[in-house]
Amino acid sequence: MHKFWVIFKREYAQVVHKRSFIIGVLLTPVLMAGFTLLPMLLADTGLSEPQSLVILDQSNMGVGEDLRAKLADSKLDDSGRPLYDIRSVVALDPLDAAAYNRLYDSLAAAINDEKLKYFVVIRPEPQASDTGLFAVSNSTNFRALRAIEDAASDLLSSVRLQESSINLGVDSVLNLTRRLDLQIRDAKGESMPFEYKYFGAIIFVMLMFGMIIGYGQLVMRSVIEEKGSRIMEVLVSSVSPLQLMLGKILGLGAATFTQVAIWVVLGAVLYVFRASMSVDPSIDRILFNPVIIVSFVLFLVSGYLMYSTLFALLGSIVNSEKEAQSFVFPITMSLVLPMMVGISIVQEPNSTLALVLSYIPLFTPTMMIMRVIFIAPTLTEYSLFSGIVAQAALGFLLVCVTTAGIIWLTARIFRIGILMYGKRPTLPEIVKWVRYQ
Amino acid sequence: MYLKLDRVRKEYDGKVAVNSLSLEVPRGVIYGIIGPNGAGKTTTIRMIMNITVPDSGQVLFEGKPIGPDFKNRVGYLPEERGLYKKMTLEEVIVYMAELKGADRATILPRIDPWLQRMDLGAYRLRKVEELSKGMAQKLQFITTVIHEPEIVILDELFSGLDPVNTELVKNILLDIKQSGRTILFSTHVMEQAEKLCDHVCMIAGGEKVLDGRLSEAKARFGTNSMQLVIDGNGRFIGTLPGVKQMTEFNNYIEVVMNDGADSNAILRAVAEQVTVLRFEVVEPSLYNIFIRLAGGKTEQTVDDAEVAGA
Repeated sequence: MHKFWVIFKREYAQVVHKRSFIIGVLLTPVLMAGFTLLPMLLADTGLSEPQSLVILDQSNMGVGEDLRAKLADSKLDDSGRPLYDIRSVVALDPLDAAAYNRLYDSLAAAINDEKLKYFVVIRPEPQASDTGLFAVSNSTNFRALRAIEDAASDLLSSVRLQESSINLGVDSVLNLTRRLDLQIRDAKGESMPFEYKYFGAIIFVMLMFGMIIGYGQLVMRSVIEEKGSRIMEVLVSSVSPLQLMLGKILGLGAATFTQVAIWVVLGAVLYVFRASMSVDPSIDRILFNPVIIVSFVLFLVSGYLMYSTLFALLGSIVNSEKEAQSFVFPITMSLVLPMMVGISIVQEPNSTLALVLSYIPLFTPTMMIMRVIFIAPTLTEYSLFSGIVAQAALGFLLVCVTTAGIIWLTARIFRIGILMYGKRPTLPEIVKWVRYQ
Repeated sequence: MYLKLDRVRKEYDGKVAVNSLSLEVPRGVIYGIIGPNGAGKTTTIRMIMNITVPDSGQVLFEGKPIGPDFKNRVGYLPEERGLYKKMTLEEVIVYMAELKGADRATILPRIDPWLQRMDLGAYRLRKVEELSKGMAQKLQFITTVIHEPEIVILDELFSGLDPVNTELVKNILLDIKQSGRTILFSTHVMEQAEKLCDHVCMIAGGEKVLDGRLSEAKARFGTNSMQLVIDGNGRFIGTLPGVKQMTEFNNYIEVVMNDGADSNAILRAVAEQVTVLRFEVVEPSLYNIFIRLAGGKTEQTVDDAEVAGA
């Protein structure tokens, strides 16, 4: 096995001794976290200044002025600045359609010219129908619209109450009929914001995807380089094709593993000092969840082996990277699948679709880790023989068996493919190679 | 016998590349496989290296089929050359030697002498991509022999080497032979083979047309050849009585005579028309032997040989 180690060492050193490796190790988690957290942060603080607003009131009973007063209570942030910069409240004769249309058009134009962000239209008898009060804007900021919705609901409810014979006082009725903001707690009795799981899943899946595709393609490139420069003939006269193939895959795999090991160590350091960093306990339960970490490492290693062997197979039958590109795409797609069906998995991580997809070996690594991230943090106890842990274990086993099969198949094709130049082999030819001897 | 090919045959897509080829390479000789492009030289060597498996027949090394232990005992230079561009010369040399089962510690002290001998002394820690094509050829030659294999197999040894480097490599091969090791190489350049080989095997169209010791082969074709250096157009010589065949290399002419022809008579006839600068009755050249043996066989391949040999 001595020659296997010679190849293993070279492939490993080719990656790890490069400056780009260290940069990749340190920068990748930062970039991943940045790319996923940034949109979340942006969505949260989308409003940086008071929003301009005009109220167009046809109600003829002062609803517009009441709305202005209510909206004034909404604050932009802790500095106490109002959420809305209410430019004016225009009261119109409910019967003067021409004036209404003229004003509506000019306000709409102002919105398109970005001179005005919002205007609210209060139609005659606004309490009578659901379209009696509406807002016009090109913006869909949840917070801004929510404030208008809340204020208008209260106002119209009180108008309706005054018209009815109920005599309890507006405020107490509103209090009695207030909406419930449904809190979702998990089996542990804690509530974990959905976003944390979602972005946790995205980060882990992206990391796995990036490493499998990145290092897998290195395997492919390495084979293509040796084929293209004809070093292959000398190599094959020195070592067996199987030694060469495994040396490459495992050497680069060790580089992958080194990268993950560094992350795990960094994570452990973070874990020790996390008390002093006031980490949200929900994040804690995702990032430092033993089931998630073990699953991630196992699926990364097995997934890497499975895919890099496929990439080695691909490298051995093509003549150039350009030729390989059209085959790389479907391989990439099978890893990205969980992100495409992600929304469905996220809502029902135990659905039949999610379960079936996570047992298809090529999809298993990324699909299963996604499901693990959604289910594992809420478990009260883990058992290797039931629930998500058992499913993950079965998935891991499936990937291992499939990988063994792919390695066998690739070894048979590889030994012939690496010495074939020129025309790319057809499928029947490849089948012939597999059967050969 | 040290290395033996026993009726090996290889077909590619129904086209016969090598047909029932047998040859025997004794230990400690320089053995040349000679033939025009497309004759089957590379296929033969790839079968010896176990890169291609023969359709039938077998390759025997020390009486046994080629096995894994052969890989460590051979140095192989393929026809198409290439090395890792991003590695330094030292790294490449050590890596290739380690793949042959040599120790890093054994190889390291050998590197400087070899690089100096090949005029690459200053490049030890430079990257392969910085080398010119000729330099890369020499580096690859070093990687082929630095682990001191007992048999060196070189495919199209001289392609891409300039005269200075050819001389350099030739001397190294002679040193290797001196140390009792064996060299097998292929070439289509007959003149070089003639100067270097102890044994030859000529192939054309995938079949052997001649093999054996070079001196014996030449003796077998007798001393019915003459070499002339003339000043003027010698085209007419081919039509003179007693001339069986003529090969013209500008002013240098090789003539094969009919049996019993009078060399003096031919010389007189030539001297009547042009100035003769030199005249010698000799053994036939390898090139001439080849033309005579393979001439009728494959015209196309002989044309190739002519281009290469001239």
